[in-house]
Amino acid sequence: MAGIWVFAESREHTRELLGAGRELADRMGTTLGVFAQGASASKEYIACGADEVFVLPVLGEDEPLEACVPVLADAVSAGDPDVIFIGATARGKTIAARLASRLKTGLCSCCSGFVYDEGDKLLRMERMVYGGAGIQTVVCETRPQMATIAPRTFAPAPEQEGRSGKVSELPVVPESGVKVLDRLPRQRGAVDVTRAKAIVCVGRGVEKAEDITLARDLADVLGAEVACSRPIAEELQWLPEDVYLGISGKRVKPELYVGVGVSGQIQHVTGIRDSRVIFAINRDENAPIFEAADFGIVGDLYQVVPKLIDEFKAALKA
Amino acid sequence: MLKTIACFKWVIDDADIRIDAGTRKLVLDRAGYKISAYDRNAIEEAVLLQEKHGGTVCAVTVAPSSAKACLKDALSRGPDNACYINDPSFADLAPAQTVSILAAGIKAGIEFDLIICGEGSGDLYTQQVGPALAETLGIPCITYVNKLTYSESDRRITAERKLEDGIEVVSAALPALVTILPDINTPRIPTLKQVLGAAKKPALNVTLDSLGPAGDPCLKTVGIQAAVMDRKKIRFAADAEGIRAAVGALLKEVAIA
Repeated sequence: MAGIWVFAESREHTRELLGAGRELADRMGTTLGVFAQGASASKEYIACGADEVFVLPVLGEDEPLEACVPVLADAVSAGDPDVIFIGATARGKTIAARLASRLKTGLCSCCSGFVYDEGDKLLRMERMVYGGAGIQTVVCETRPQMATIAPRTFAPAPEQEGRSGKVSELPVVPESGVKVLDRLPRQRGAVDVTRAKAIVCVGRGVEKAEDITLARDLADVLGAEVACSRPIAEELQWLPEDVYLGISGKRVKPELYVGVGVSGQIQHVTGIRDSRVIFAINRDENAPIFEAADFGIVGDLYQVVPKLIDEFKAALKA
Repeated sequence: MLKTIACFKWVIDDADIRIDAGTRKLVLDRAGYKISAYDRNAIEEAVLLQEKHGGTVCAVTVAPSSAKACLKDALSRGPDNACYINDPSFADLAPAQTVSILAAGIKAGIEFDLIICGEGSGDLYTQQVGPALAETLGIPCITYVNKLTYSESDRRITAERKLEDGIEVVSAALPALVTILPDINTPRIPTLKQVLGAAKKPALNVTLDSLGPAGDPCLKTVGIQAAVMDRKKIRFAADAEGIRAAVGALLKEVAIA
């Protein structure tokens, strides 16, 4: 047996992995398999390129998703796929690491892209290291070759008519040592910074929570959303966590990014790397953000931002 | 008695990494080393649990033999003792190798109820070692934890996991392993007394001879290149004229709605 197998928590993410997997399966001349949570998604996944669907049984209320690791491992041992892609969400990354450990194979964490080498039949997989300062290329020399892939890395596979595939059910998941006591759904903020055309980002240079109004005023003039660096959301909790930018937060690609008191740690810069124009205001002339910026002003943001707002207003009115 | 292991990694300080734009190489040779940021949270969490429930804290690392300075740093942050699993060849280990060495070292001589790891290391950030170590040791694993409590009466831990879709509150009997997020605590800054005291604390030196071979890397690094970004890097003065010029330059580049 052989094949490319994929697994992700959400349908959207699964379809993205099916898109990447279908292309690779065709190049390798092999089949595409997918793990589904419940049988209802089978038809969709087959239409999206899957040749085989492995349906995981419905888990008990108090079982975490990671409980399915032993069943996944047994299925992989029996089916012997060449490649496994798993969605790099918190649960997916945990499942992948445990699965790779069980299977005694290598795992490329948060793979951002890959090239298939026809010669040795191995994937050259890329991932970020040192907070985004470096790009590491790895090959997995053991079977199966494994990678986790973040959401929105690949385009979702489109549904096609007339495809057929096999559906099989996996056995019952054994009870795990971890019990879920409660689930508290995330309160989603109204703002989706990943879709914003312009972003004003608040960093540690802002001294008080109230001063974020200054960034908001600038954002209003620019038609921008307000985002922040990790400490502003996690340590200080001045802004919700779904607006912090960085390697472990949201990655954005606006037309314009304005950093207000953002120092520019590499982990943050990695999240804004794809912005078209980066503009930074910081009092420290040695702040690394200036190395990552197109335009910069070295100065006190409390002096600069109000003037900037006036200048933008005047220029946009003209 | 709660016996806790806090795992940590001695990593290159990423603030010291320089990029050679010509060769697209990372210049690492002049970089300093530090305890990986999230592992400081792991040590702190272990020490906080000890302050509340008693017991012991052992800080464990797998490192090249040149990393001995990590012991004093780790021990100054509160653990009772450290375990330094080292060999000159332990410089660029693949996650699977770190896991097998760590598991062998722990099995050989560290008693534990709870293992705490950071969510990922500051250098390679594969986020694999915690969950893979739990799998190898055959103990329950709870990842991405931002709140952790221990109940002495039934010897269980309860943890809040911060996941994409919300918080998952879970519980497991000890022994178990958790990986924690940086917002779980604020690591204390060691006092001078703690720094001086660290040198007197016991550190167990474990070498490869006593553990056997490091195992198959599974994952091979073909190369590491600098991630370069082309930016204009134009600076404007902070006075009225400079700000006006900056606005002009920005509006030329970007259409603002």
